[in-house]
Amino acid sequence: MSLTAVGEPAAERRRAPLGWLLWPALLAATVVLVSLPAGALPAWMTRYPAAWQVPVAAEISAFMRWLMESATFGVFTVRELTRGIAWVLDLPLAAAKAVLAGGIGWGRGAETVSLAPAIPWFSALIAGVAAGYWAGGARLALLMGAGLGYLAVFGQWPSAMVTLASVLVSSALGAAGGLLIGLACVRWRWVERAVSPLLDLAQTMPVFAYLLPMLILFGFGPVSAMIATIVYAMPPMIRVTTLAIRAVPPEIRELGAMTGCTRAQLTWKMLVPSALPALMVGVNQVIMLSLNVVIIASMIGAGGLGFDVLAALRRLDIGAGLEAGLAITVLAILLDRFAQALATKSARAPERDPERAARKRRLLTGAFWVAALLWLAAALKPDIAGYPEALRLSTAPYWNDLVRWINVTFFSTLEAIRAWAFLNLLAPVKRFALALPWVWVVALVGIAGYRLGGFRLAALTVALSLFIAAVGLWQVAMLTVYLCGLAVVVAALIGVAVGVASATRPRLWRAVETVIDLLQTLPSFVYLIPIVMLFRVGDFTALIAIVLYAVAPAIRYTAHGVARTPPALVDASVMNGCTRRQILTRVRLPLALPEILLGINQTVMLALSMLVITALVGTRDLGQETYSALAKADIGKGLVAGLCVAFIGIIADRLISAAAERTKRRMGLGR
Amino acid sequence: MLRSLIRALTMGMFLALTAGAALAAPESRDPIKVTLHDWTGQLVTARIMGETLKKAGYNVDYVQADYLAQFAGMRTGDLTVAMEVWATTAKDAMDEAIAAGGVENVGETGMQAIEDWWYPSYMKEKCPGLPAWKALKDCAEVFSTPETAPKGRYLGGPVTWGGYDDERVQALDLPFEVVHAGTDAAMFAELQSAYDRKAPILLWIYAPHWAPIKYQGEWIKFPPYEKACYDDPVWGINKDAKYDCAKPRGPIYKAVWAGMKDKWPGAYKAVKAYAFDNKEIGELAAKVDLDGQKVEAVVDEWMAKNEDRWKKWLQ
Amino acid sequence: MTDPILACRNVSKLFGADAGRAVRDGRVTAGAAELAAVGLIPAVLDVELSIGRGETFVIMGLSGSGKSTLVRCLAGLAQPTAGEILFEGRDLFAMSEAELIRIRRHKMGMVFQNFALLPHLTVLGNVAFPLDVQGRPRAAREARAREMISLVGLTGREDHFPRELSGGQQQRVGIARSLAVGPDLWFLDEPFSALDPLIRREMQDEVLRLQALLKKTIVFITHDFDEAVRVADRIAIMKDGRIAQIGTAEELVLNPATDYVRAFTRDAPRAKILTARSVMAPVGETTDFAGEVAAGARIAAFAHDVEQSDKPFAVVKDGRVIGIVDRLAMIDVLVGRERKTAA
Repeated sequence: MSLTAVGEPAAERRRAPLGWLLWPALLAATVVLVSLPAGALPAWMTRYPAAWQVPVAAEISAFMRWLMESATFGVFTVRELTRGIAWVLDLPLAAAKAVLAGGIGWGRGAETVSLAPAIPWFSALIAGVAAGYWAGGARLALLMGAGLGYLAVFGQWPSAMVTLASVLVSSALGAAGGLLIGLACVRWRWVERAVSPLLDLAQTMPVFAYLLPMLILFGFGPVSAMIATIVYAMPPMIRVTTLAIRAVPPEIRELGAMTGCTRAQLTWKMLVPSALPALMVGVNQVIMLSLNVVIIASMIGAGGLGFDVLAALRRLDIGAGLEAGLAITVLAILLDRFAQALATKSARAPERDPERAARKRRLLTGAFWVAALLWLAAALKPDIAGYPEALRLSTAPYWNDLVRWINVTFFSTLEAIRAWAFLNLLAPVKRFALALPWVWVVALVGIAGYRLGGFRLAALTVALSLFIAAVGLWQVAMLTVYLCGLAVVVAALIGVAVGVASATRPRLWRAVETVIDLLQTLPSFVYLIPIVMLFRVGDFTALIAIVLYAVAPAIRYTAHGVARTPPALVDASVMNGCTRRQILTRVRLPLALPEILLGINQTVMLALSMLVITALVGTRDLGQETYSALAKADIGKGLVAGLCVAFIGIIADRLISAAAERTKRRMGLGR
Repeated sequence: MLRSLIRALTMGMFLALTAGAALAAPESRDPIKVTLHDWTGQLVTARIMGETLKKAGYNVDYVQADYLAQFAGMRTGDLTVAMEVWATTAKDAMDEAIAAGGVENVGETGMQAIEDWWYPSYMKEKCPGLPAWKALKDCAEVFSTPETAPKGRYLGGPVTWGGYDDERVQALDLPFEVVHAGTDAAMFAELQSAYDRKAPILLWIYAPHWAPIKYQGEWIKFPPYEKACYDDPVWGINKDAKYDCAKPRGPIYKAVWAGMKDKWPGAYKAVKAYAFDNKEIGELAAKVDLDGQKVEAVVDEWMAKNEDRWKKWLQ
Repeated sequence: MTDPILACRNVSKLFGADAGRAVRDGRVTAGAAELAAVGLIPAVLDVELSIGRGETFVIMGLSGSGKSTLVRCLAGLAQPTAGEILFEGRDLFAMSEAELIRIRRHKMGMVFQNFALLPHLTVLGNVAFPLDVQGRPRAAREARAREMISLVGLTGREDHFPRELSGGQQQRVGIARSLAVGPDLWFLDEPFSALDPLIRREMQDEVLRLQALLKKTIVFITHDFDEAVRVADRIAIMKDGRIAQIGTAEELVLNPATDYVRAFTRDAPRAKILTARSVMAPVGETTDFAGEVAAGARIAAFAHDVEQSDKPFAVVKDGRVIGIVDRLAMIDVLVGRERKTAA
């Protein structure tokens, strides 16, 4: 380390003059290439020749067909195996749904024998409040009461419980699976080497792309939706596990050796419990991501709130869609706060006062008994179990009227904004992106890779972008790059501005944080449809939706980076006579740059993941490719398009991370 | 699945307990899987079929499945019944699946699908020649937006719906640009928005659906569809192009898994016998979409009022 | 050393690729700079020592001297690149995994610098942990744990969590835990380095008290010479992975083997280290003594008396006068002046 630290600045200095010239030169070359008249370049350079295409998609489709129709292990077929797995995974899901939503019993149709109804809303409310009090005290109890109350009063209860059941089961399976895989990664290097690229793919590939293979492998229905959810939500748990277990102090491992622990004892009695607070962060992420795909999962039969949102928006009941969407947000907040309370509970001092502890215990057991008795009462008299219709509230009509009012009153203004943005921003950038010769883009990506991360990075970026060209998706991929790129630029501008403004103003920051939390947990579909009403189907609508969804990390990381400037440096600049503005532009922003870059990196990832959703409002990029492949049951096409999205994501991620790492090193902030 | 596990364990007891409870003994107690899609009319038809089969003692599961992807599931027997296969949009997919084996077309539902270019009535004032298609040539400007100007803007369905609209524009030399909505929700969002403002709009509307009931308007009259129009360039006004005509109007079929005939012969017959018409389904769908009733409630009400109808299917 | 409980023979530990080959090629004898040139970082080089039963053996060195690595080799936590570690005459690294686990479960205990308490267990749970690992029944292990907790004076805090305790208290838990299995060999790896100076002193007394009570063999690691002097029977001073010198504190002060040891011991509290025997002058003619001091008595114990008196004191061993100490000798010791010494 010390060697590189000494060597690096020297190398940096030597390369600097070239560095200053390189980027302007490349930019100029790009502009020249784009403005060349048609026919100036050989045709194979501007458009990837069809003859060079590799039929990957067709081969994947053929392979899947073979896998499902003829592949066999001898004793049983692949199909029987995957269906067996689906059957096993369905057990906990069915159990959770029975308790929370469907009712406990057996038999089906006319022969159903019902043992007990699903837990009625009032029992669940009491139990939820008590659990909140136990885990996080009065504040969390209040939050639980308010959240669950919302679900009941606004008529979201039955659907919310279906969603809760599937989210709980998929998060539990995702967290457990992630923990085990993470432990295996720590234990065996080769597992980590094998898993790590898969994680990159799973995190960047749109869910739609692997939904179809899931459907075909595991059958239509909630189980496939659950497995897709797990695939989507598990990677952070794996990463967190490897980090958390590695971060356990070496002394704890040594203690394990000195007390004569076996490997299993070391893992389960020492490492995992010691890392628990960190592991809970991963569990939290799994829950949040599971809720993120609720809508998409409902498209293949998961039901619940996601389906309600879709159904409401399909009949243009924006208010109802919003209420169902907010119910998802409420679930997200409750689960998030509850998981966090559990994580910090182990770090808090337990109640020592025996009298108060006893009172708390009595209160809790009392509450649980009341809940259980009420459940029993509901079992005996089923009519009291549901929330009374007469007491239901709905704000849906107001929302519908509001959107209508905005639409009628402000449409011409909005239309003017849209037309301006389209003519001056979207259209020129799109033309530019499509006019770029593919060879040049590949070269650019390679040069950037080489400059930022050396030969290996260059090889990776070139290989990935060549794949996109080779499967014949270059044009759609450039549409993706154009839309995402523009959205990222807009999001970054807004994000940095808002982040800087709120970094040093705690009250503003709280307000901003609430808004971005809402934007991230509220299913994007909920605001997508009103945006369509105001801005029509098209790229501008998609742009707004992507920016809304992806702006959060840019704001968060900027605020974090700027706020974290060492106070000593700020003091020093004040003493040097800097104005506030100078402190910001000369000290805080440059120091926050690596952090801001990481935020932008996250923004790129979110923008890419939003692509598929915007396909629903008619964009024509890779998102649309994966979506329509799903509709046409074309596995190969879907996977290949999904891989292309993933590869764009990976290229962006590697380049930006390398840039962030480089600035960090240059400023001596790095490791 | 937990239920079915427990059920398997206690099967003997149950058969004794529940014998004779149903109208007629079903041939197999395995659930018949009826697919649900993403438009209300289909939810109504599928549920009416499902509830009817339940009355006959069959076990029925409703499964959310993609409209086109469902055939893959149906070939393997994962899915059993698809109640609405529109000749206009999914006939190719169904025929392909039938050819590959495992899927059977069990006839028409009695409903006729219409899918074509549609405009709200107030546009007649701005473009007097409507609904004749030739009128579009002169009032493209009326329908234009900054992206498409000077051409008019036609909002087509999601790309996955097919429909050859881009080709139609070419063949009929219409000064229009086709913009595809990603979902029908997005499409109707735009319609609602324009309708509220009495703003110009021209888009793809299909029936049976609540939209032509809720909104006043008409379909454009293109040269009527003939098979030759889609197969033979020489046909029609443009001698060098196909698709120089309206979209086909056609029946809505029912499709089932080929194994159904042997496994649940009674249910198979009921699906075959099922019949409805556009108006009935449109009205039921409107109850859901416009009056905000639940699909289940609408279906239950229908079942209670029309016992003779569904009993006949079961015979 | 008649009965060494722990011994190491030519132990070296190098970090870096190909460490094993460097040892086979006999390059261990090379200097640190030469090794670094081939990409090897020597942590322990060619160490030879043996520790007797009941002895308190201190390994002392500054950070980077290799003392932590050495103790990890001694405890079997890290496998030496070369040489062998003999526990009761048997090579730790030639044993089976099961045998090693058995020895650690019953014969070794270790106290860690940063306590290494398990955050999710109470004091009781932490102390009982080594017994839990052995699979002892709950009642038995908790009874034993309570016994250990009272031994270190933490009775009443059994159900506290580590984060609720002060650093000193946490390390008392660490000590109680390491003693719970009744080990023969007790490793203390810089046990008090993370504590405040005042607490550190109190904890050193605690170790001395426990040692007087339990008579374990102790291997104690520290970077603090004062601490070493307070607890040690013998001290090994390490520098750059090698042992510079082994001896009692007095031997190190009086006869430093290298300049490094000399520099180290120069500012040591000599009055507390040196004994009467090492500063006495020959008896000569005088028979007029102010009093007597024992040959093994530390100077700090009698310096005051000697200074008060004009006459010298007799140094007595086995009832025989073997030398004298006078006021001048006291001053020499206290100001650290080197003169004639006899050791």
